[in-house]
Amino acid sequence: MTHTLVLGRRALREGIRTPEAIVPTLFIPLFFLVVNVGQVARIFPGSTTAFLHGQGYGAFQLPSSMLLAASFGSAALFLVEEIEGGYFDKLRATPVRRSAIVLGRLFAEGTKALLIASLIVLLGLIFGITIASGFLGFLLLIFLTAGWAVVYSGYMQIIALKTRSAAATNSAGLIFFPLLFLTPNFVPRNLLTHPMEIAATINPVTYVMEAMRSLILQDLRWETIGLGYLVIAVAGAIMLALSVRVIRNYD
Amino acid sequence: MTQTKAVQAMQSDRLTAPAVEAQGLVKTYRGRSGTVEAVRGVDLRVEIGEIFGFLGPNGAGKSTTVKMLTTLLSITAGTARIVGVDVATQPDAVRQRIGVALQEAGLDARQTGRELLVLQGRLFDLSADAAASRAAELLELVELTAAADRMIKSYSGGMKRRLDLASALMHEPEVLFLDEPTTGLDPASRVTVWDEVRRINERGTTVFLTTQYLEEADALCDRLAIIDDGRIVREGTPAQLKAELTNRLGLAQEATLDDVFLDATGRTRLAGEVQEVKA
Repeated sequence: MTHTLVLGRRALREGIRTPEAIVPTLFIPLFFLVVNVGQVARIFPGSTTAFLHGQGYGAFQLPSSMLLAASFGSAALFLVEEIEGGYFDKLRATPVRRSAIVLGRLFAEGTKALLIASLIVLLGLIFGITIASGFLGFLLLIFLTAGWAVVYSGYMQIIALKTRSAAATNSAGLIFFPLLFLTPNFVPRNLLTHPMEIAATINPVTYVMEAMRSLILQDLRWETIGLGYLVIAVAGAIMLALSVRVIRNYD
Repeated sequence: MTQTKAVQAMQSDRLTAPAVEAQGLVKTYRGRSGTVEAVRGVDLRVEIGEIFGFLGPNGAGKSTTVKMLTTLLSITAGTARIVGVDVATQPDAVRQRIGVALQEAGLDARQTGRELLVLQGRLFDLSADAAASRAAELLELVELTAAADRMIKSYSGGMKRRLDLASALMHEPEVLFLDEPTTGLDPASRVTVWDEVRRINERGTTVFLTTQYLEEADALCDRLAIIDDGRIVREGTPAQLKAELTNRLGLAQEATLDDVFLDATGRTRLAGEVQEVKA
């Protein structure tokens, strides 16, 4: 645990010292939020659209922006840099637990995601979005976002460890687009066309997004929230098991 | 044998064990073009307290051998022990005993020199205070105290090498592996690194040094081995190797280590040019 925290603190320092890697994490999701709301909000006015539960369309779109922000983690690219520069071997030559090398960066990604998610929600509040589930709902919302950040960064780290290539790692990150857009991104699942509804139903990100959306638009709906957390827990467990296996077999 | 006696016997073996011992060390890779044998049965023995030089042309298997000895690469066949501890079966125990400064001076450029050393100490389970104090001591030793709180990305090549050396010494290792520690350094920085290596060795650390610079091996090493095409082709003290070649070729002047190296790796010097020897 000490090794994970020590390496996690180092990764956080690295993040703070590389603001150019953090700024797009905030800017691009907010850009998409503004553009999507600007284009669609008049079709779905808050006063007459049932699935908005009395809020504006921005509240419906907020989870997409938060998930996008949580998928911009830089852990994997920093890891490739370290592999190419030789520092990764330096770490492997110490008696540190192999899993701590992976978990340290994930700890930092989770922490950064908590801060970024809080900031996005805060900006949302300024523009009239409310968190209908209250303060507990707010906490559940940002922890769910951080959970997704850890899962996605973990997946990217596996690719980085397997390929040891920045180009391949970047390309692997593109999987985020089908994951994010084959979801009820613009309207609830029951309003999607049939093929899109099937795609969204088998896409696990849908359940994370629906959990986040329910926390913003409605009171605590434990079944939906639980499903979102279950997806994160299962994906997280698979990702951790694979990460540890890959780093132990790293040669 | 009781468990206590077995532990005592193991400890006694370690007290008398060489610093580095490898027998029949092999490394093969499977690539797209088939299997590549990078190391083909290396036997090595380095005694405690020695500075041992490991020489060879590019691609001869030096770095691969070092990576196997330092637990960074799996061993395809053969055995390796560091101070009596098996590299393949007890890698963490080996890591506690070795310090490693690899060819690339692998450092985290976004940390300061002091942060990097403290982190290294923490990974070897030093307390925060002990790591900070050891870091200060080593920064003094490698003359980087004034630059300790600057980002590593602002360091010169020589400063990075010295910091890398310091980080390899954080936990006071018994055996220090230095993989081409002076490659790319200017002559003044190279001499500084040599002085550090001598000082470290005088304090009791065994040094396993790979290098392409023969004058470096001649100046520093008690004994050396030359590897070519994955096999050890010469081993001995620099004086022994030079005397053997002088006698074998009946040279009027004593052979240099350059001559030994060229002879061992299948090349010869004719009219001032290096040429391949055709079998």
